[in-house]
Amino acid sequence: MNTNNNLYTVIYTTLIVVVVAALLAFVSQSLKGKQEANEKADTISQMLTASGFGTKAEFQKMGNAAVLAKYADVIGQAFTVNAKGEKVSDLDLSKVYSPSELKRQNYNIKGTGTGEAELPVFIFKDGTTVVPIYGAGLWGPVWGYIAFEKNSNVIKGAYFDHESETAGLGAKIKDDPEFQHEFNGETADFAGTDVFSIVKGGAPKDANGKSLVDNKIDAITGATMTSQGLEAAIDTWLGTYAKYFLKTMEE
Amino acid sequence: MNAKLKETILNPIFKGNPITVLVLGICSSLAVTVTMKGALVMALSVIVVTGISSLILSLLRNTIPGRVRIIVQLVVVAMMVILVDQILKSFEATYAIDKQLSVYIGLIITNCIVMGRIEAFALGNEPWPSFLDGIANGAGYGMILLIVAFFRELLGSGTLFGIDILNWLGYVPNNLVILPPFALILLGCIVWVQRSIQKDLQEK
Repeated sequence: MNTNNNLYTVIYTTLIVVVVAALLAFVSQSLKGKQEANEKADTISQMLTASGFGTKAEFQKMGNAAVLAKYADVIGQAFTVNAKGEKVSDLDLSKVYSPSELKRQNYNIKGTGTGEAELPVFIFKDGTTVVPIYGAGLWGPVWGYIAFEKNSNVIKGAYFDHESETAGLGAKIKDDPEFQHEFNGETADFAGTDVFSIVKGGAPKDANGKSLVDNKIDAITGATMTSQGLEAAIDTWLGTYAKYFLKTMEE
Repeated sequence: MNAKLKETILNPIFKGNPITVLVLGICSSLAVTVTMKGALVMALSVIVVTGISSLILSLLRNTIPGRVRIIVQLVVVAMMVILVDQILKSFEATYAIDKQLSVYIGLIITNCIVMGRIEAFALGNEPWPSFLDGIANGAGYGMILLIVAFFRELLGSGTLFGIDILNWLGYVPNNLVILPPFALILLGCIVWVQRSIQKDLQEK
């Protein structure tokens, strides 16, 4: 058989690509349910970690079912708010926002999406309020969850995740608990123009290493772009939540 | 088992190891060797990809048009890599590891070992030896990965497979070991050991 014939080459490549594409589409569709369940449990464990219910490693050990049960146990209410701080609609308590949904809302915030931004607010039974943030890191999206004390702008905890930041540098936003712990006890300046800052070269500190300015923390050494991207994500999202938080703080 | 088949299996494990002798797949061996678990999953993934891609392409070898053979190889390897990635994402036990390995699972496609073995072996040999050659090369790669990961996790985190080994003795984990340069130093040491055993590799 002459395998160097043009027609043969074209038919052969077409056939192999079609077969492979069909197989992959089939596999992707049949595994989708399981993958989404894993992603959901992962998202919930990130929210729980930010809110101080445990560490990410602990939730990983618990398994999906236990994480979901724990969440159902502690979640109080969930709803969406718009940029004016008005409540839009209630959310099903079993629903969480996947990174792809956060991405859609991120377009809405920037005015390049399909509608008005409707951002989720999750309030646990103890009053801890968790909101997501989403933005662009150096290589891909970064996102995360920031938990606030009840009706306040004091940050209780934070957890961040990323798609493809550099391991050992930008990936520290996820892997380095010390970076995430820096957020604890800081405040978001919802009334001001600069909601939160991640400062290259270090935030001002006193002699004991205690942060002097409440809404500034240290950036990650060697990961300037990721730090800047994360700061922009936090500023954009918390800026959009600002009116909602200012309202709750008055109450 | 005949001698040739035995040679096919044993050669990539030591004498012709893809990492230490051919110096292929260095990038991923620096990136995914921080923990034993990650290295093990990566090693198994590469074994599956090299083995099955070699088998499929060896079965197709007489039908592949010569001018587009690299493209056909790429399509098959890419398919295998995506399949592995999708399956890892689907299980609770491997989801977190897949996330941790992130891009490196997808980057198996660029691992020269896979394409190298297909081009050099699978396209000219029967399916069964090709399959074994793929598996053996993946195993040779995986073995080095696990050796490097053993030292990096033990000295860098004081644990093995996440189980505390040194920390309870008061060991302070060495952060340098976690960083990629140390993996390169370790790899260098492994190459050194191999070359001192296997004299024919030494340049005059």
